[in-house]
Amino acid sequence: MARPVPIALAATACAVLVLSAGCGTTHENAGQAPNAGTNTKCKGPNGHYVIGMSQANVAEPYRQRMNDDIRNAAASVPQFEVKFADAAQDNAKQVSDVENYLTQQIDLLIISPNESTPLTGVVKKAYDKGIPVVVLDRKVDGDAYTTFIGADNTDIGRQAGTFIAQKLLPNGGKVVELKGLPGSTPAQERDAGFQQAIAGKNIQVVATGVGDWLRDKGQQQMDAILKAQPQIDVVYSENDPMAEGAYLAAKSVGRENSIRFTGIDGLPIPSGGIKAVEDGRLTATFVYPTGGKEAVEAAKKLLIDCQQVPKKQTLPTQLVTKDNAEAVYRAANGG
Amino acid sequence: MTQRETIQRESDGAAAPPAERRLDVVSVLFRFQSMLGLVAVFIAAVLFSPHRGAQILFLTSENLFNVVRAVAEIGIIAVGMTFVILIGGIDLSVGAVLGLAAVGSAVLMVENGMGVVPTVLLVLLIGLVFGLLQGIASARFGIQSFIVTLAGLQVARGLARIWSGGQGVAIAYGDGPGEAPVAFSLLGERTFNGLVPIPALIFVVVAAAAIAFLRVSVFARHLYAVGGNQKAARLSGVPVNRVKIAVFGISGALAALAGIVHAGQLNQGSPNDGAGYELDAIAAVVIGGTSLAGGRGSVVGTVAGALLLGVLNNVLALNNIDANIQLLIKGLVIVAAAGLQRLRPAL
Repeated sequence: MARPVPIALAATACAVLVLSAGCGTTHENAGQAPNAGTNTKCKGPNGHYVIGMSQANVAEPYRQRMNDDIRNAAASVPQFEVKFADAAQDNAKQVSDVENYLTQQIDLLIISPNESTPLTGVVKKAYDKGIPVVVLDRKVDGDAYTTFIGADNTDIGRQAGTFIAQKLLPNGGKVVELKGLPGSTPAQERDAGFQQAIAGKNIQVVATGVGDWLRDKGQQQMDAILKAQPQIDVVYSENDPMAEGAYLAAKSVGRENSIRFTGIDGLPIPSGGIKAVEDGRLTATFVYPTGGKEAVEAAKKLLIDCQQVPKKQTLPTQLVTKDNAEAVYRAANGG
Repeated sequence: MTQRETIQRESDGAAAPPAERRLDVVSVLFRFQSMLGLVAVFIAAVLFSPHRGAQILFLTSENLFNVVRAVAEIGIIAVGMTFVILIGGIDLSVGAVLGLAAVGSAVLMVENGMGVVPTVLLVLLIGLVFGLLQGIASARFGIQSFIVTLAGLQVARGLARIWSGGQGVAIAYGDGPGEAPVAFSLLGERTFNGLVPIPALIFVVVAAAAIAFLRVSVFARHLYAVGGNQKAARLSGVPVNRVKIAVFGISGALAALAGIVHAGQLNQGSPNDGAGYELDAIAAVVIGGTSLAGGRGSVVGTVAGALLLGVLNNVLALNNIDANIQLLIKGLVIVAAAGLQRLRPAL
């Protein structure tokens, strides 16, 4: 889950600002647009709707899967035509992508922002034109959007910690933590939740490695940690690829059977975490849902049923172990 | 024809040999090669544009200004890149300098409480000095500019990461502490009835200034002389090293200007911004008919090249061509433009 640098700072700065003036520029705040927030796009079941999906970076498997989930869910809604744009991790490109959608006069925008602050202005522009906006995974500043759908990283970290504390190490033990890209929100939140869950449970974090979400970095970090730590019971990795890297490192020194590995993300793809659990390399992973299916459901409610949707939808995670891995994989792929 | 006139003609992108001024079709075609490409892509864009009723979406004024806004940053960088390429050099550091300048703009205003004018001047100075240092390393120590600016790219990225603390610095506007002056937000706005984006205006001004500069200044004559034949230039008294150093200074300063625009448009300075922009800028210069070997080319061509890329991006997006296919098409267009250059009649 290599997400680009997120913005604790932005969030803080804007939280302060939202109280007074909102986070847009003066121009944007100058006048309330007539259509702001009102859904004028609903034409019922007989309409034809063009949905624009603006993706931050399809080079990340998680985001490719998000697009696939949207494509598959929309395939069963004959009224929907979905278009996809890829910003290739460039904020400026994503702004242009959304502007191009506005030129095409789309009926609904789904966006998974590369970063929050740079995309806030153009998302507000769409929203002010009366286009419903579904924001996925990463928020924009302020509240100029229709609905936000995402999972709770702190909660996922907490559940992983609870699983390790209760199921894997009920009598306590030694844990290695592998963290994602420093400064990124998911890295901070998955750590915070984990720390909360293991506090006072006689679990000792003997080493922490920073793997930047990457398999090869996770492997390198684990190589070094294995040399320094004669006893490791569990590796808690903030995502699946780093957990897989750590597994490879342990295997190369013949210690893979004495250590258990847990990951997060659980992508239902052949190279994803669910398969790794099924194949026994990881003991468990926690699904970080893409929200693609839920975004299409929200679009259906807004455009076809003319209903309201909640401003925020938090998606639950799911624990994947050897017992349910096959079933979860099949269910996620429509089987 | 005098030496001066020859050079002026070259700065127009002229290909016709001065001795025989036959305005045969071929040389005229090649003289306006970059413009022709732009016109061709523009016509294709109109033809392939999606419609909404009778309205051609590509031709809506808002869309056309979106195109210019979208290419403004690359265009500003590409103008500086044209100077560097005209002397036969290359500047790979511009994308990273853009990131450094964006971070600098954000940090100086938000964290150091500086005003807009001092911030802009200081950031431009940083870009200028960064470029000059690369020019000195390249000219005085005879290291190829490819290597010097490749190293410069790493250094600028590193500085941007350190300065920003590794993450994007959000720019919030207001009068309080931790807020940037509201005037800076102008960069993200549109003027003339909310139609013309400010970054597009800045691009136009920069391009016009560069075109005028290349027509009238002594420096321009030296520039084309160094790019055409360095040894001959040196022998005829052109201060070759000074010219070399200066072009990198210009390129660095313009990259910094693009970074300021970038920060203003996105309300953020992020150390990762501008990654790969140097390649887009080089593409714009090459499509515009400037020779990578130096000595031949023009800013007019570069502007046309940047707009060509922008129109191409725009119409591909409006038609929702798959992102991966878009890459293929863009690659082919760049190769085609470079191929046209080879076909060009020799001077």
